[in-house]
Amino acid sequence: MQKIEAVIQPSKLDQVKDALVEIGVDGMTILEARGHGRQKGHTEVYRGREYSVDLLPKVKLEVVVTDEMLDRAVNAIIAAARTGTIGDGKIFISKIDEAIRIRNDQRGEIAL
Amino acid sequence: MQAGESTGSELLDQYQRQMLEIRGAFEAGTSGSITIAARSAVLDELAGVLWQRAVDRDPRLAEGIALLAIGGYGRKELFPHSDVDLLFLLDAKIQEKDVKESIRRIGQEMWDCGIRVSQATRKLAECERFSEDNAEFTLSLMDHRLLTGDAGLYARLVDGTIPKLLQRDQKAVISRLLELTNERHAKYGGTLFHLEPNIKDCPGGLRDVHVCGWLAKLESAGGGTPLSIEDSEFQQAIEFLRLVRCFLHYRHDRDDNTLDWQAQDAAADVAIGLKGRDTQKLDAAYWMRFYFRHARSIERALKRIVEDLPQPKSARRLLLKRERGIEPQAGFRIDRGRIVLDPAASAYSPGARDSAQDPEIVLEVFAAIALTGCSLGREAEDRISQALPLLSANLEEGPALWRRLQAVLMGQQAGDALRAMHALGVLELLIPEFHGIDALVIRDAYHRYTVDEHTFVLIDTLHGLEGAQGGSKAEWATRFGTLLRELPHAPALYLMALLHDTGKGRSTGDHAQESAKMAHSLLARLELDPYESELVSALITHHLEMSSTLRRDIFDAETVRAFAGKVQTPEMLRMLTLFTYADINAVHPDALTPWKAENLWRLYMATANYLDRSVDDERIGAKEARELVDRVSALVPAQRAAVADFVEGLPERYVLTRSPEQIRTHFSMAERLQDDRVQLDFRYEPSVSELTVVTPDRALLFANMTGALAAWGMNIVTADAFSNRNGIVVDSFRFTDSFRTLEMNASEHGRFVKSVYDVMTGAVEVEKLLSGRRRGRRKVPKVIVEARVEFDDVASSHSTLVEVIAQDIPGLLRALSLTIAAHGHNIEVALIDTEGETAIDVFYLTHAGSKLEKKQQKALRAALLEAMEENAR
Repeated sequence: MQKIEAVIQPSKLDQVKDALVEIGVDGMTILEARGHGRQKGHTEVYRGREYSVDLLPKVKLEVVVTDEMLDRAVNAIIAAARTGTIGDGKIFISKIDEAIRIRNDQRGEIAL
Repeated sequence: MQAGESTGSELLDQYQRQMLEIRGAFEAGTSGSITIAARSAVLDELAGVLWQRAVDRDPRLAEGIALLAIGGYGRKELFPHSDVDLLFLLDAKIQEKDVKESIRRIGQEMWDCGIRVSQATRKLAECERFSEDNAEFTLSLMDHRLLTGDAGLYARLVDGTIPKLLQRDQKAVISRLLELTNERHAKYGGTLFHLEPNIKDCPGGLRDVHVCGWLAKLESAGGGTPLSIEDSEFQQAIEFLRLVRCFLHYRHDRDDNTLDWQAQDAAADVAIGLKGRDTQKLDAAYWMRFYFRHARSIERALKRIVEDLPQPKSARRLLLKRERGIEPQAGFRIDRGRIVLDPAASAYSPGARDSAQDPEIVLEVFAAIALTGCSLGREAEDRISQALPLLSANLEEGPALWRRLQAVLMGQQAGDALRAMHALGVLELLIPEFHGIDALVIRDAYHRYTVDEHTFVLIDTLHGLEGAQGGSKAEWATRFGTLLRELPHAPALYLMALLHDTGKGRSTGDHAQESAKMAHSLLARLELDPYESELVSALITHHLEMSSTLRRDIFDAETVRAFAGKVQTPEMLRMLTLFTYADINAVHPDALTPWKAENLWRLYMATANYLDRSVDDERIGAKEARELVDRVSALVPAQRAAVADFVEGLPERYVLTRSPEQIRTHFSMAERLQDDRVQLDFRYEPSVSELTVVTPDRALLFANMTGALAAWGMNIVTADAFSNRNGIVVDSFRFTDSFRTLEMNASEHGRFVKSVYDVMTGAVEVEKLLSGRRRGRRKVPKVIVEARVEFDDVASSHSTLVEVIAQDIPGLLRALSLTIAAHGHNIEVALIDTEGETAIDVFYLTHAGSKLEKKQQKALRAALLEAMEENAR
C-alpha cells in the first residue's frame, strides 16, 4: 500500500478530486495548508521586499492506494493539477505499513 | 509547449557546461574576480537569448521595457551560487497585464536552469521613491546595468530618475544604510574575530565592501567630494575574500558563506590566496591569520569612509560631550571624537619630536581613547603605523611604562584602546608575548571569539561592572560590582586579564603555566613592585582554579577548603572571582547564565567565610543545623520530635542548602509516604526549576529521574541525594527548560509532574518516554571529545568523586547513572554541566556508606567507558 501526499493549488482541488474518483480511488483526506517552494512564494510579477518568504495558501491531499493503483493515481493528479507555471506543487510517495477500518477491524488492502 | 521544452533543456545543458568550465578554471588557479565576472558574462548571454525569444513571440515588448542587472549582478560579481538580481523596468505607458506572462516565463526558464533568480518589476517613476522599509531595493538599484531592451528608457533612469532620487534622499539613504550595517554588525558582536566567520556578513566581510562602494557612490552623487577607496591593501583584501567566497560556494554547493573549521582546514591545505608562498603543510590557524588581516583592512576602510562622511549635528554634540573629560595634551588633541596628532616636526623646529614617534605621547593618546572612547583619526593611524620601528627604539621600560599602561587599562573604554593598539601593532610592541595569540583560532565549540578578542571582551566586562547596572543581569552585576570597587590593587587585575591567555599560543598543554612564564618577563620589564608582581603571577597561574572548582560540590567543606588553600588571601579570592565572572562572560554571550552567576557567588561567599573565620567549622555547622531544626519546628510546633527524627542523619549539606520552609515541606512529604510511596515537590522558576522527590525506595531513582526529565527535554544542572537515618530519601534535581516547554505551556506543569510520578512509581517505562525523543540521525559533532573518567579520593571527606568528560549526546547521563546503579554505588551529589559539545558530569559516590575502593573504581571506569561507547552507537 502506498500513501500519496500531494500539495496543490487550491483552485485545482475539484479537478483533482474528480479525476481520482473517476479512476476508482474512493477515500481521501484534504487539508488546508500554507507553504512555498524554492521561489519562496514570489510568484507574482511585482514584488515587495526581497528577503521576505511568503506562505501561500495550498491544499494538501492524502490518499492511500494499492501498489497496482499507484501509477494511475499519480498520473491522474498530475494531469489534473498541472498548469505549467511555478506554484503547481509537489507529490510525495511513501510506503504504508498497515491500514485498519475502525468500524469492523478489517486490515490490509481490504480496508482501503 | 513542444518547442519550448526542447530548447529549454538545450539552454540548461549549455548553462551547466559553462558553469563547469568556470569551475574548472577556478580550481586551476583563476582568481575570484575573474570567476565571478565570467559567470556574470554567461548570465548576460542567457538573459539576452531569453529576452530575444520573448520579443520574437510578442513584438510589443520591443519598446518600453528594459531588462537590467542590479545588485551583485549589476556589479558583474556573480559568485558561483549567488542569486541573480534582475529588474524589469517599465515605461509608464506599459500595462502590466501585457507583459506579465512574458516576464513570468523568463523567470521560470531561469529557475529551470537551476538559477536562483530574484526578479523585480517596477515602473520608472516607482524607482524614484525611497522607502525606509525596502532600502535594500534602492541600494541594489544603485548598481544598475543595462542587459537588453529599451536603451532610451534606461537612459532616463540613469540621467533623470536616479540623480533625482539621490539628490532628494541622499541623507536618508546613507543614514538607513548605516543603521542596517550597525544592525548586521551587532549580530556578530561588533567584532570580526569569530572562530567561524561568515565572510559575507561579518564585520570585515564582503558586505562591508559593498557598503564602502555604496557610500562612495552616495557621497559623490550628493555633490560631496568623492571618497577614495583606492587603497592597495583594501583591494588585496577584496581579491582574497572573493577567492575564498568562490571556494566556499563550490565547497558547500550553495550560497553558504561560513568559513567553518573544516573549510578552514581545506583552505589551508590548498593555501588559498597565498600564491607564491612556501606552502608546505599550512596550519589552518596560520592561514586564518591572513583572513583576519584582510578582514581588518576592510574594517579599517569602512571606518574611514564613515568617518569622512559629514556628520549630523546631533552626533557632533555627543562627541563634544565626551571630549570635555580631557585636559589639553601635549602632542595631540581630540577633534570631534577623533585623535589628531600635532603636525610632524618641520625643518624649522629640529628639536621638537614627532608626536607619532614619541612613545610617551602615543601612550597618552591611547589612554585618552581608553578614557573617552574616541578613536584615532586616519592620519594619526598612518603616522603611528609608520613610526613603529622608531617607537620601538625609543621605548623606555620600567615604572613609567607601567604607569602609562595602567592609564590605558583603567580607562572605562580600555577595550577600545587595546583593540586599536592591537590593530596597529603597538600592543605587540609593548607586549611581544601577544604575538602568539594574534587572531588565534582555537578549535572549541564553546568559545565564540579568537583568543585576543576574548581577552578584550573580558576587560570590557570588568569595566562594565563599574557603573550602575541595568538589564537582566543587573542583580548579579551589582553584587560583583561591589567586589570590584573594593579592590586595593585593581590595575593588577586588569594586567592579569590582559596576559592570562598569552600562553595559548604555545601548543604545549597547560596554558596557565605558559602564560605565567610569559608574564614573568613583562613584569620584570615593567618593574612592578614585588607584591603586585607576585599577585599578577599567582593569578595567572591559577586563573582556571575557580572555574574548575565550580564543577565540584561547593557545599562540601573539602571543596571550599581546597580552593581556599589555593587562593590563600581574601584579596586574591576577590580578584579571581571577578576574573572568573568576566572570563565566563567573554567566552560567549550566553555563557554566563543566572545559574552560573549564582554558583560563582556562592563559592565566593563560602570561601570568603572560610578565610575569615577562625573557629572549627564542624561545630558551626552543627550549630546552624540545630538552629534550623528549631526554625522548622517553629513552623509545625506540635511535631517537634517528628521533625528532629526526620532531620536526623541528613548530611550537613542538606541543612545548609535548604530553607526552613523547604525542610518543612519535605517533612510533610515524608509524613505522607504511608499513603503514597512517591512524593514530588515541583518548584518552577524560569531560570532553574527544582523537583524534589521523597521516597523510601532508592534503587534506580537517579537513573529513572534523569530519563524522565530528559524525555521532557529538560537539562539537569545539579542533583543531590540525601537519606536520613530511617532510610527515607530526599533527592533534589535542579534543571533548566531548554525548549521552554513549561515556560510557554503553563497547563503542562501538572502533566509534567504526573509523568515523572508515573515513571517513579513504575507505571510508565522510561524507555518508552525516551523513545519518542531519540529520532533521526545525529549530526556530526564539530569537535570530537574524547571520553575521560577521572577519580578523586581526596576532594571530599565522605565520598569518592568521579568526573566524566565526554561528548554531549542524548542519553549520556542516563547511561552513566544506570551504570553507577548497576554497580551498587550511591550518588550523593551530581553536578552536570555542558560547555559547547563537551559534557562535564561530576558524581560524588559512596558504596555502602563509604568511599569506593580502588578495585571498585577500576571496574566502574571500564563500565562507564563501555556504556558511553554503547550509547554513542
